[in-house]
Amino acid sequence: MTDRDRWVSLLRDAAGDVATQPQRIAELCVQMLGVTGAGISLVSDTGHRGVICATDDVSRRIEELQVTLGEGPCIDTIRTGAPVLVSDLHDRDDVAVWRWPTFMAAAADAGVRAVFAFPLRIGAIGLGALDMYRSRTGALDDEELSAALLGAEAAAVALLGLETSPDGALGDGADAGLGYQAQVHQASGMIMVQLGVTIEQAFLLLRARAFSSGRPLNGLAADVVERRLRFSSEDL
Amino acid sequence: MSEDSAHGGASVTAVRSREQALARTFVALADTLVADYDVVDLLDQLVGASVSLLGVTAAGLLLDDQKGHLALVASSSEGTRLLEIFQLQNNEGPCLDCVRTGTAVTSADLEVDRERWPVFVPEALAAGFRSVTAVPLRLRDEIIGGLNMFSDTATLLGNDDRDLAQALADVATIGILQQRSTHRTSVLAEQLQHALNSRVVIEQAKGVLAERDQVSMEVAFATLRKHARDHNLKLGDVAFAVVRRSTDPGAIPPPPQ
Repeated sequence: MTDRDRWVSLLRDAAGDVATQPQRIAELCVQMLGVTGAGISLVSDTGHRGVICATDDVSRRIEELQVTLGEGPCIDTIRTGAPVLVSDLHDRDDVAVWRWPTFMAAAADAGVRAVFAFPLRIGAIGLGALDMYRSRTGALDDEELSAALLGAEAAAVALLGLETSPDGALGDGADAGLGYQAQVHQASGMIMVQLGVTIEQAFLLLRARAFSSGRPLNGLAADVVERRLRFSSEDL
Repeated sequence: MSEDSAHGGASVTAVRSREQALARTFVALADTLVADYDVVDLLDQLVGASVSLLGVTAAGLLLDDQKGHLALVASSSEGTRLLEIFQLQNNEGPCLDCVRTGTAVTSADLEVDRERWPVFVPEALAAGFRSVTAVPLRLRDEIIGGLNMFSDTATLLGNDDRDLAQALADVATIGILQQRSTHRTSVLAEQLQHALNSRVVIEQAKGVLAERDQVSMEVAFATLRKHARDHNLKLGDVAFAVVRRSTDPGAIPPPPQ
């Protein structure tokens, strides 16, 4: 078994319990990726921000700083949809160091020497970020970087409850990855128009309806796509 | 003029127009690759080229999602049935075999290959397909996906066509690896994740336009693509703007009635 397969199966084992899954993924990153701490924050474009989990006090501080200041690698990674990698907070040649003066100063004071942020996104849905830090300088190597990207994807899927069925167990789509759920994404786009809401809200409403009706997400999405089911203002 | 020479003349014309089509396709692909291109646009162009150059009925590109599964990233048609048949191959089928073995996998007649893929074959036949070819997207030792082609007749691609299919698959591999963006890393996992996530944005945007215009997903995709091409915009950017509502959806005209 390659390292990647092992990592994927560890992430998969973290699934199942929606409440503890993000924390579990952050802990796995610390155990497996040679980082000192990791945390996850939700940042939506409607301004809602909150820290979901952190593996230690410094990580929590990093998350809280960004949520409070509205600046930092986590904010940038959400905006650009690409990872933000700062391997040395004191490297004055790194443009990132100059982008967030307040955050950087406070993070350095807290003992952070390197910080890495990964976007949590599903298509155009931007949820937040998975942040990691090191108490020493140093870049993530290619293998760690690849693993971190998969970790961020697992965290996004966990936060949206994409892979769980109404009873909290793994759903049909769990084994097939994101591509399998084309109809879920199409249905989210349709509900956006039906209700005049954002794609995040549309997805969550579809998800909520699946839970309340005890139906799998895929089946419900198919009903929307086939126009057997329409969302109305009563669903808001 | 004897019948022979008339036939010969026609086939020379056919060969010449095919050569021209080939040249045009690769010039267009080369143009795309040196510009600041959009990966879903390029892959969409590639599956379209596979159909027109190889005379197959349908073509799709599936990528390794890095978690042991294949996910569809581009298809020559957005018909729900076709998308399902591509995606079905997560569990079984020629494209999965091709990605696992790293070699081309074919079936010249699915009717006689029922036992080979007991779940996949009945579905493919029911959708009107008779033969299939899958060629790998190969990066050194790693297989990152497959180009999957279906025909509605029981035929096998000739050697030249098989080589051409592999060349198109190679262009897809290069296109996925060469995506450029200021902050992007050169890690394969990110390139694949980005391509697959771009496809999810397309699905979301199809939903928005299908509901707005009360049309099928197929027509919604055509609307999206036409708008991108007419305005020289990237397909992925247009799709993202539609879903994020950063563009006035009214700016994208509905399909003609």
